[in-house]
Amino acid sequence: MSTPANLKHSGPSAQTPPSPALEGVHHTARPTWKLAETVHFYSEVMGLKVCHAITAKGWGPEDHPDFLHFFFDSGNGSTIAFFYYLGSQRPVDPVPWDHWLYRSVHTAWRVLDRGTLMEWKDRLESFGYDVMVVKHEILESIYVTDPNDYMIEISWQMRPLERNDAADARLTLKAAIEVEEKTSRPVQVIDDIWRAKARLVEQLTAGGVDLDA
Amino acid sequence: MPKLYVLNVPEFEGLIESARNKPNCTIRSVGQSYRCIESDRPIKFVRREVGVGPAVWYGAFTGGIDGRLVDFGREEVTLVDA
Repeated sequence: MSTPANLKHSGPSAQTPPSPALEGVHHTARPTWKLAETVHFYSEVMGLKVCHAITAKGWGPEDHPDFLHFFFDSGNGSTIAFFYYLGSQRPVDPVPWDHWLYRSVHTAWRVLDRGTLMEWKDRLESFGYDVMVVKHEILESIYVTDPNDYMIEISWQMRPLERNDAADARLTLKAAIEVEEKTSRPVQVIDDIWRAKARLVEQLTAGGVDLDA
Repeated sequence: MPKLYVLNVPEFEGLIESARNKPNCTIRSVGQSYRCIESDRPIKFVRREVGVGPAVWYGAFTGGIDGRLVDFGREEVTLVDA
């Protein structure tokens, strides 16, 4: 995709080194103001082992110089981490904590099949959680929220992703960016993307362009 | 003439099957990755005929449309000329 003119960094040039290999997500990290509840949830409910903890003095900013940074083994070499900033209060949020601004940020674990997903549903319900089940395009997922109100998802992928999926995803994003470039504002309704995409699908396939390229 | 482009993946196959049962719809291949459902009149889709849950239903037009969606709801939607 082309690089928009308003982006701070330029796109790759002939001198740009190739992307070195990335080996999956090592950890994600979020703040918590509920230490015991968070440790309980990830250890006892999610069944993850604490695998690393950092305790630091004077390393943070002036209003919370000391902190705990602790990690749970979340499977396949990945971890999920939390910061516990000593002496700090959670900042007052300009929007409610259950606002989509926060709800959209979540961690999703993979399980291998539907049976395992349903076992997780049973387990979480046995702890008293209301478990939401959603069947998406390629994922079937269950959702709960942790003690911090961070959304937790567990999913099984119902089919492998194919080259078609990636090509289609690139076209979707290309269509969306084209709409924004044409209107000079953030895209407002999904219909505009769908209409732009239909034109791209026709143009590209009529031109014999390999969508997998 | 309203048109709907459908990526060739299992979760959207219900759109194609539903269109096959509509007398005025035609279905043609668009390259190797898509099919196009088109008609000389409005195309109405009913979720239970398409056989998908809400999450897929609300994203079912992601392949692209040539036209305008009217009466878009949880159970039904109609694609008409732009």
